[in-house]
Amino acid sequence: MADIGSDVFFATIPELNAHLKAGDFSAEDLARAFARRLEQLGPRYNALALPLPQDAIRKGQTVDKDIKRGRLRGPLQGIPYGVKDLISYAGHPTTWGAKPYAGQVFDYNATVVDKLDAVGAVICGKLSTVELAGGGGYRYPAASLTGPGLNPWDRSRWSGGSSSGPGAAVAAGLVPFAIGSETSGSIVTPASYCGVTALRPTYGLVSRHGAMALSWTLDKLGPFGRSAEDCGLILQVIAGKDGKDPGSAGRGFYYTPQYSRPMKELKAAYAPVDFNERADASARPAFAEALRVLKDTGLQVTEIQWPQMPYGAVLSAILAAEEASIFEPLITSGKVDQLADQAQIAGLKAAMDVPARDYLKAQRIRRMMQDRLLRLFGEVDVLIAPGRSGPASKVTDRLDAGGPPGASVQGGFQGIIQAGNLAGLPALVLPCGFAENLPVALQLVGPPFSENALLAMGREFQAKTDWHKRRPPGAA
Amino acid sequence: MKAKLTRRKLAQTLLGGAAVDAIAQTMTPPTPDADLKAARDRLKATSDTLAAQNVPLDVEPAFQFKA
Repeated sequence: MADIGSDVFFATIPELNAHLKAGDFSAEDLARAFARRLEQLGPRYNALALPLPQDAIRKGQTVDKDIKRGRLRGPLQGIPYGVKDLISYAGHPTTWGAKPYAGQVFDYNATVVDKLDAVGAVICGKLSTVELAGGGGYRYPAASLTGPGLNPWDRSRWSGGSSSGPGAAVAAGLVPFAIGSETSGSIVTPASYCGVTALRPTYGLVSRHGAMALSWTLDKLGPFGRSAEDCGLILQVIAGKDGKDPGSAGRGFYYTPQYSRPMKELKAAYAPVDFNERADASARPAFAEALRVLKDTGLQVTEIQWPQMPYGAVLSAILAAEEASIFEPLITSGKVDQLADQAQIAGLKAAMDVPARDYLKAQRIRRMMQDRLLRLFGEVDVLIAPGRSGPASKVTDRLDAGGPPGASVQGGFQGIIQAGNLAGLPALVLPCGFAENLPVALQLVGPPFSENALLAMGREFQAKTDWHKRRPPGAA
Repeated sequence: MKAKLTRRKLAQTLLGGAAVDAIAQTMTPPTPDADLKAARDRLKATSDTLAAQNVPLDVEPAFQFKA
C-alpha cells in the first residue's frame, strides 16, 4: 500500500484527483487510509456514527478498475466522503442521531448517495448529528446518540449543530468532504465553528429524498469541503431535479468558474453593527480584516440596513408545526421520552399544539419576507455577515441560556440565518480567521440559484487568504 | 453525638442561606413539567408576535414553496 501522508488528509478534491491520475496511490489505498483514519479518530470528536471500511475498500477497488479501463467519471471519482447520519445508506443503520431510531435501516439510498456513487465517490462512514437534527430545540450539545460534538480545534468546545459530524470530520481531515443538512443554521454553524468551507444551497436545488424530514419547506442538504472550489465540484454532482423530492426545484447546477463575473462588477452589502457591535469582541479583528480582504478583491462593498421583520417567530411557528406533524407518531407513542435532551422532548410535545392559524399566518408573512429580500437583491448581489457572532461555545454551555453578546443590538443582519432559510437563499461559509484560538467565519448570502457567484467570491477570498488551509493542532 | 456537616450546610454557613438557595435554584435542572410549560410559553409568545403582524388580504401562504 502506498504511503499516504498527512498532507493527503487535508488535500482538496483537485489535489487528490491529481494524485490519483498520477498514480501516486490508488483509489483503494486512499479509501483504506481515510476509512482507517475516520474509524480511529472519529470517536475522538464524537464525529462518527457508523464506520463503513468494507464498503469504502470495495468501492475503491471498483474505481481503480474503472480508471484502468478509461471509465473516467469526473473529479469526485475515488474521493472518500461521509454523510450526516440522517441520510439513508441502504442496508445500514440510519439513526437520525436519536435513540428511538437506533435500529432503523432503510433498503434504499438517499438520492445524494446514489449521485455520489454514480461518479465514483467513496463513502467511508456516517457522521454524527444532533438527535432529529435538533427538532424541538435542544438545551445541550450532548443531545445526540454519539454524545456532544467536540471541536477539533479544542475538544472542550462544541463542533456546532446539527451537522456536528460533517463539520468536525472535515476539519480534522477524517474525510475530504461531507454532506450535511440545514433547516436553520445546521450547516452554517458547524462550518463556522470548525473552520470549514461549506455551502447551504438554494432550497430545492439538492434532492432530500432519503434524508430525514424535519421541515418540508425548510430542509436543505449541502456540502462541507476544504475550499469554495471543492463545494462547487460537489454541488455539481449532488444538485439536480428529482421527482422523488416534492420540493425539488427541477434544475441542476453546473459549476462554471470560467464564466464568473469580475469581482469589480459585483455589489455586496453588510451592516456595520454586525461586525462592530454584535460580533464577540475577540472576533472583531478577524471579521474586520476579512471585510478588508473582500474589498481588496475589487468587490463593491456598501453599508445597508437589513429589513427588520419577525424572522424568529415565523421560523419558529413553521418549524414547530411541520416537525410536530412529521414526528407525531414518535410524540404520541411516548417514545419521544427516549430522546437525550429534556428540553427537546418538551419542545416536540408543545409543538403538537401549534394552531393552524399561526402556521398559516407564518407562511403568509414568510411570503412577504421572501418578496422583500428578493427586492433587496435587485440592488446588491450578495450580503456579507459573520457566520456566527464568535467562536464555538463550550461543550458544557447551555444553548438556551440567552443570545450571544450583542444580540440586542438593532439594525444589523440579526436573524440572517433564519431569514436566509425562510427565503430559501444559498449561503457560503468561509473561514476568515481566529478568535480565542478558534476559527471564525463569514457567510455570503445571495439570491436563489446564485451559487456560482457566491463560489466565485469565495475563490477570490481564498486566493488571498489561507484560513481554509489551517489544520487543527493534533489532527495532522 | 457527631453532627453531620453537609456541603450544603457548610456553604450556608459561609455564604448565607439566600445565596445558597439562589445557586441551588440555578443549578437544579428544570423538571419535565417546567420544560413543557416553558416550551408552551415560548410558542404562545410566538403566536402573540404573529398576531401583531398586519398581512394584506391578498398574500397567500408559502405552501408550495419555491425559491
